[in-house]
Amino acid sequence: MALLEAENVVMRFGGVVALDDASVDVDPGLVTGLIGPNGAGKTTLFNVVTGLLPPTSGRVRFDGVDITRAGVAKRSQMGIARTFQKLEAFNTLSAFDNVRVAVEKNHRTKWKHQRVNDVAHEMLGKVGLDDVSDVTVGTLPTGSARLVELARALACRPRVLLLDEPSSGLNEEETSSIGQLLLELVADKDNDLAVLLVEHDMSFVMGVCTRIHVLDFGKIIAVGTPMEVQGNEAVRAAYLGGDEFRAGYVGVGE
Amino acid sequence: MILGLRPPVAFAALLAGVAAVVIAIFNWKGAPVTSETFLVTTYIGLFLGALWAMYATGLVVVYTTTGVFNFAQGAIGVFSAFLYWELHVNRGWHSILALFVVVAMFAPALGVLLDVVIMRRLRTASLVVQLMVTVAIMVLLLSVVGDIWEADTPRRVPYLFGIENGIDLGPSQLPWHRLIVFLVAIAIAVAMRFLLRRTRIGTAMRAVVDNRELAALNGARPNVVSSTSWALGSMLGALGGILIAPELGLDPATLNNVVIIAFAAAAFGALRNLPMAVVGAMLIGLLRAHTGAWLDFGPDYRFAHLAVAPLILLFVVIALPQARLEVGRLAHHLRRHERYTKWWEGLIGCGVVILLAVAFSGGWLDFGVWDPGAWGSRELNSANEAMAFALIGLSLVPLIGWAGQINFAPLAFAGFGAFVYLKLAGDTGNGYWIIVVGLLCAPLGALVALPAARLRGLYLALMTMAFAQAMSLIFFPHSWVMPTIGVGRQFPHIELFGVTFDDRRGFFLVMVSVFAIFVYGLVLLRRSRYGRRWMAINDSQAAAATLGVPVVWTKVVVYAVSASMAGIAGVFWATVSGNVDSVQGFDLLIGFNIVLLVAAAGVSIPMAGIFLIFIPLFTGLGHRLEDAGNVGYLVTLLDIMTTYGPGLMVLGMVFNPRGAIFEMGRGFAPILPWRSDARAEIAAENAQKREPEIGELGIERPFTPEEVIAIDRRLGILDDVVPKEGYGTSRS
Ligand SMILES: Nc1ncnc2c1ncn2[C@@H]1O[C@H](COP(=O)(O)OP(=O)(O)OP(=O)(O)O)[C@@H](O)[C@H]1O
Ligand SMILES: [Mg+2]
Repeated sequence: MALLEAENVVMRFGGVVALDDASVDVDPGLVTGLIGPNGAGKTTLFNVVTGLLPPTSGRVRFDGVDITRAGVAKRSQMGIARTFQKLEAFNTLSAFDNVRVAVEKNHRTKWKHQRVNDVAHEMLGKVGLDDVSDVTVGTLPTGSARLVELARALACRPRVLLLDEPSSGLNEEETSSIGQLLLELVADKDNDLAVLLVEHDMSFVMGVCTRIHVLDFGKIIAVGTPMEVQGNEAVRAAYLGGDEFRAGYVGVGE
Repeated sequence: MILGLRPPVAFAALLAGVAAVVIAIFNWKGAPVTSETFLVTTYIGLFLGALWAMYATGLVVVYTTTGVFNFAQGAIGVFSAFLYWELHVNRGWHSILALFVVVAMFAPALGVLLDVVIMRRLRTASLVVQLMVTVAIMVLLLSVVGDIWEADTPRRVPYLFGIENGIDLGPSQLPWHRLIVFLVAIAIAVAMRFLLRRTRIGTAMRAVVDNRELAALNGARPNVVSSTSWALGSMLGALGGILIAPELGLDPATLNNVVIIAFAAAAFGALRNLPMAVVGAMLIGLLRAHTGAWLDFGPDYRFAHLAVAPLILLFVVIALPQARLEVGRLAHHLRRHERYTKWWEGLIGCGVVILLAVAFSGGWLDFGVWDPGAWGSRELNSANEAMAFALIGLSLVPLIGWAGQINFAPLAFAGFGAFVYLKLAGDTGNGYWIIVVGLLCAPLGALVALPAARLRGLYLALMTMAFAQAMSLIFFPHSWVMPTIGVGRQFPHIELFGVTFDDRRGFFLVMVSVFAIFVYGLVLLRRSRYGRRWMAINDSQAAAATLGVPVVWTKVVVYAVSASMAGIAGVFWATVSGNVDSVQGFDLLIGFNIVLLVAAAGVSIPMAGIFLIFIPLFTGLGHRLEDAGNVGYLVTLLDIMTTYGPGLMVLGMVFNPRGAIFEMGRGFAPILPWRSDARAEIAAENAQKREPEIGELGIERPFTPEEVIAIDRRLGILDDVVPKEGYGTSRS
């Protein structure tokens, strides 16, 4: 059984059907991709999974437990963490304090015997932000603020990590080091971590993901390995004319 | 679902029903209920409801179309009613002409002016700034009214067509005025509903508030739309004010308080649903009329029948569904800098404050040209009052400044603190009870916050306002709470460490010390995990929740802390005023002024409390100048500053939301030798100013090749999309 399962989720906003019977499952030990054109419903799915939106219908299961009705904070304590596509960093706090807020909430349950400041420094170090730890996040460039969100999510010691376009605002080098970090995190058996990655940068997605779900107009139109997904006709149709997809194809194909 | 209602709604309705029955049974007056008296009461209730519906319609229209909840709606009504009186009664214009000039010309102009100068800029502002600014407008309008139309002349606004003319209803008669009000209110609500739902401009108006950019792309002009709504809202406020004035009398405070009822009515429609808001207004009207007619609450609860609106608001708040945590509303790059005050900086600052206070009050300072001299009793009085205000103001710092939650009831909490102290230590003045006061006020704060904490911040603001009103209508007038008015019983002098502080200078120093302790406590709190968490929920509740922070509970705790501080401050406030009766003077308007001044000073900074010294300071200075024979313009100037100062300063928040002390501190900090961070920050900002925003590039002239490279670098656009080495092998 998968660690995190979204089952037949429907999310309606008035007339707009953002998610239409979408099912996604995520396993520990690997990075699962979730791709799709703009407005496909990827962020909405994250909101449903983290509890920020109650789905119109469908279930969300975590570790076999039905959490469709659980509160946001409860899910976080169970081990679901995320970053946001539109930044939700604590702008008035320093990068260090952003992470500390997360550690402080979880240090008794998840970081036994470790000092708050040590954990916070470690997390900032992982994403490569040691040198700006005292800078107010509102004044950091977007890419760095995104990394602060990642460090903050890691500080919750999650079992499922949902990343919403982590590479936007990062340059090539930073993107590749994030990709490296993700692969290291899931490879570490102690973490027992599952990552669900939403990304538009196809070479990035194809490079790190083991399995990919493709969402289009709220429906899952394909699931499979990067190779399978790239060969899928429906996926090609959904991305018709999108250069991003071809670029990714080349990236893995060599 | 219970009887087709969601469980919270059913629960609230049940609660309200039980409360209504219990209250009715215990307070039944025993007057015979005949169908005639019943009918007359009902029609009065419907008429009152219609008036409130008019205000509520204005509120809902402005809120649904601009996202700003207008606390000044009532004050616009007050101003218009006075203007109407001036034109119609004082200048003898025909009522229709005066009505036309005020409602159709003055009011829309005022609305458009407000929109163009202020409201438009509040679109992306925080709730604190939005509310503070509308409250400031309210206070300013009321001050203007008070200055133009001196309170000592009695004024009456006549009924349209006189009170005697109307339809004969048998036992009584229905004056044309009331019939017209009722019909007009209903017509307006229907017209507004039609406008918002069925017309192009209405659709545009509703679309703009949800997504301004998208609406603009589809041809809506956001600025035209928001000016239209403000003009409409202002007209409805004006009409309501003029039509209600004959019933309530032309008194600014009374007329302005009407708006609290309109708030409750608007809340009944979840602030957006026009028909439900009208139903709410009618319901409150009927309840008010019928409680007045059939119930008698006895001398202890003589104002209780006026508390219908706060109660309705409470039940509405219980019934409302939990608010979703909003995401994607955050503007990055706010350029807000927070820095912890170091613990030793806090100690030094507090020490300096105490030393200055001692030196000043003792007259040990001599600046040569200007020798303040030892303070006399009048200066000490002013200073004591100032310190008490400052203490109350401090209680708002963690709440408004850090957690971004609003509290309009600091004085109600202060009053409750004074009450607890009077009960516990009334005879001895034993100062140690103050700690117990702090402990007992905390649960009260939590209780007030609890029902509304799971809703949007606006409801909490309304709840605190309703709470303040309920306290002054039900709690404080009770004879057991503040014993017998007129006896002139003195509030006890505080006794601490075996010393009774019965002289003003000693007490002043005690208060300065307490102030310093509070400030220092706040400095430490700000550095603690709690301070951090509160700042975090202010920045993004959604993000905080996804990190496991229980958002609702955190808010409740902040309210408890704030209420506890306000309660302790209340003990000092009551001691300064001396007379027990004065504790009842915890009125909403003074509360507003305190909140405004703290906000203007920069409410996230503990020292902001010091700003409240301005209120008594200016009055005190005025007295002094008068004594010195310096009556002329200086006194007037100080007068103006005391009356208009808070409001005007808050309007400054539109452009500078961080407040005055923050800006002053930014100017000052780089001078301090150990603040290299402040110098670096200024330097960085200057450097940033030179580098234009990407969005601004290329508008005035084409890009140069260097700029293209710079833009590519900053946007992370790369020539080669394919990474050189890949990201490691993908496992399948
Ligand atoms: N709160 C909301 N109210 C109304 N409609 C919404 C809301 N949130 C999302 N939508 C709509 O749902 C659809 C899916 O949006 P979503 O943000 O999930 O897409 P996405 O796949 O994340 O797109 P992108 O790649 O641009 O981030 C869109 O049509 C969007 O307009
Ligand atoms: Mg998205």
